[in-house]
Amino acid sequence: MDLDFTAAERDFRAEVRAWLAANVPRNLPSMNTPAGFQAHREWEARLADARLSVVSWPEEYGGRGASLVEWLIFEEEYWAAGAPGRVSQNGIFLLAPTLFAYGTEEQKAGFLPRMARAEDVWAQAWSEPEAGSDLAALTSRAVRTDGGWLLHGHKTWSSRAAHASHGFGLFRTSGEGRHRGLTYFLFPLRDVEVRPIAQLDGEPGFAELRFDGVFVPDSGVLGAPGEGWRIAMATTSSERGLTLRSPGRFLATADRLVELAAGADPALADRAARCWLDAEAYRLQTYAVARRIASGRDLGPAASLGKVFWSELDLRMHTLALELLGERAAATPWFDGFLFALAGPIYAGTNEIQRTIIAERVLGLPR
Amino acid sequence: MNFAFTDDQLALAATVRDLLAAQGPGLLAERRGPAWARLAELGFFGLLVPAEHDGLGLRLADVVLALEETGRACLPGPVVETAVAAPFLLGGPELGKLATGALCVTLVQPGSGLAVDADVADLVVAWPRAAGRDAVRLTPHPGTDPGRRMFEASFDGEAVLLPGSAVPALRRATVATAAQLVGVARWLLDTSVAYAKVRTQFGRPIGAFQAVKHMLADVAVAVEFAAPLVYRAALAVDCSEATADRDVSGAKAAAGEAAVLAARTALQVHGAVGYTHELDLRHWLARAWSLAAAYGGTAEHRARVREAVAGVPRWP
Ligand SMILES: Cc1cc2nc3c(=O)[nH]c(=O)nc-3n(C[C@H](O)[C@H](O)[C@H](O)COP(=O)(O)OP(=O)(O)OC[C@H]3O[C@@H](n4cnc5c(N)ncnc54)[C@H](O)[C@@H]3O)c2cc1C
Repeated sequence: MDLDFTAAERDFRAEVRAWLAANVPRNLPSMNTPAGFQAHREWEARLADARLSVVSWPEEYGGRGASLVEWLIFEEEYWAAGAPGRVSQNGIFLLAPTLFAYGTEEQKAGFLPRMARAEDVWAQAWSEPEAGSDLAALTSRAVRTDGGWLLHGHKTWSSRAAHASHGFGLFRTSGEGRHRGLTYFLFPLRDVEVRPIAQLDGEPGFAELRFDGVFVPDSGVLGAPGEGWRIAMATTSSERGLTLRSPGRFLATADRLVELAAGADPALADRAARCWLDAEAYRLQTYAVARRIASGRDLGPAASLGKVFWSELDLRMHTLALELLGERAAATPWFDGFLFALAGPIYAGTNEIQRTIIAERVLGLPR
Repeated sequence: MNFAFTDDQLALAATVRDLLAAQGPGLLAERRGPAWARLAELGFFGLLVPAEHDGLGLRLADVVLALEETGRACLPGPVVETAVAAPFLLGGPELGKLATGALCVTLVQPGSGLAVDADVADLVVAWPRAAGRDAVRLTPHPGTDPGRRMFEASFDGEAVLLPGSAVPALRRATVATAAQLVGVARWLLDTSVAYAKVRTQFGRPIGAFQAVKHMLADVAVAVEFAAPLVYRAALAVDCSEATADRDVSGAKAAAGEAAVLAARTALQVHGAVGYTHELDLRHWLARAWSLAAAYGGTAEHRARVREAVAGVPRWP
């Protein structure tokens, strides 16, 4: 057992740190405004030019074939440098792992390099007005037609969809029951009716999507028709676990929180120290998980342990920051961060659903 | 980067676990009883003793999982003091005796001034003095845990002065206590889950109720994220890293908190029968409370983390 980085890993960290120090843009407008969306895409293209946008992908798709540990190092440096949020996150962190596992060569070659540069930005279209936690209750459907499918239905809460170019989502292709007969589709948003929805901060961070016979060719089906649920579940463990929200982001927040709490009342500073320690615990647990994954084991339902932990840690940190800042908080990035942290226990499967998964599938309690 | 235990480290833990499980419930009643003797035969008390004194010369990270098992089994007696602290306090001739398991040692706690299980110890250390039990006047002090009795120790008779520093021993004892707390928490979680599967009310196992599920899920989360801090602290102490004191305090605070949550939840899940002497559960509850207070309580260690992190960059 050790926690030592190899010489190559240390060099990689140094390269990333130096590049970010020279290149990170300051004060980009919100990625959910038209100008901010463009600015964030340009930033992704610069990252891609340095082969830093998707380090863990194979080189042919724009990555470096980096190991899991190197990817964690990248994330630590990225967030410590105060770099912008990733406008392409739902594509590169949620869809891409699924494309690598189930996509055809043509799909991978067609979608991944453009995704890596944010030439295409992908939105996740899973939730529906009547299918939130109970995703398998979804009713949007796809009807067979010549050379492809026609999509019908109503999706909602689709992050980035207000400005994105593509979507990925589940549609019913037969009436065989809740989890069966679902198919995973990849489609341009061009022909979809998009209604932006303002989030708590007032910006249209997600959107409602209406499909009225939108044509998708057979090449837009990921995996086999009817296999959608199984394929989608492969994405959820990336979403809950270490790809979407790696420790780096929370380590950086915790470090800033400790600075903010310096000199504060010891009771408040103690809470900051506890957050600092929890971020460290998440990092260490992730290094242990990375080891398990590298030796071929699947993360499985244990991803839910991490999801509960990081989302509640993030909210505790931002809540404390607001207490420390008082009425002046809204003028600082902590307030936007607080609004964002509030969503953590809701998206990627609510924390109530995660606790039930932990109880039933990690601890083995009866359903 | 390989933050995982080796096969040897896992095998040692499994051996200790099996040995203690084979003792049955009688283990809970006897401080320095048959379980202690079995562990001594195994060489448990010499794990950290240097090889030139007939020990195995292992590092804390090698044995931290085995220590966790002594917590899971709720093994009574001055285990941490004898197996973990003493090898870093005592000199030559005592080390050899320690390795064979013939010498049982206790330590006067720097904070409370109380010595745990001094009545069964051969040697009482009140840093920097050490004396045989017969040379020390012991007065029982009320404690929370029947498996860890507390004593006031007055050194009236002859004592020897120990060389060096107490820091290496105290750091290790604190991490070992944190490891035991993780073991206690794991047992409490496993036992509560098992009970929730078989106890039925309203015609269903209580573990099918979401309120019960979510309480237990919170314990699983707390244990999952406390344990790596303990393992990391063991490494930091072994390598005398600059962050060692911070990491030790972080481990103790997180493990203490996880075990106390596990105890509180275990009692709630068991209902009234948990609140009695009819179940053995009470031994683990008491152990969670007594170890959480040993070698500095949660608040004290959290305050140390606070002081240590202000203005100091993270590793690496
Ligand atoms: C910021 C943000 C971004 C999002 N981005 C996307 C996206 O890009 N794509 C997408 O498809 N979706 C997205 N979502 C939607 C998200 O996946 C859903 O909000 C989530 O699955 C919960 O569904 P719901 O909102 O309908 O809540 P509901 O399912 O109606 O739940 C409401 C409350 O009831 C509780 N509850 C429900 N069922 C149970 C149960 N069985 N046991 C206990 N409690 C229960 C929930 O925990 C919650 O507290 C996003 C949401 C947010 C907030």
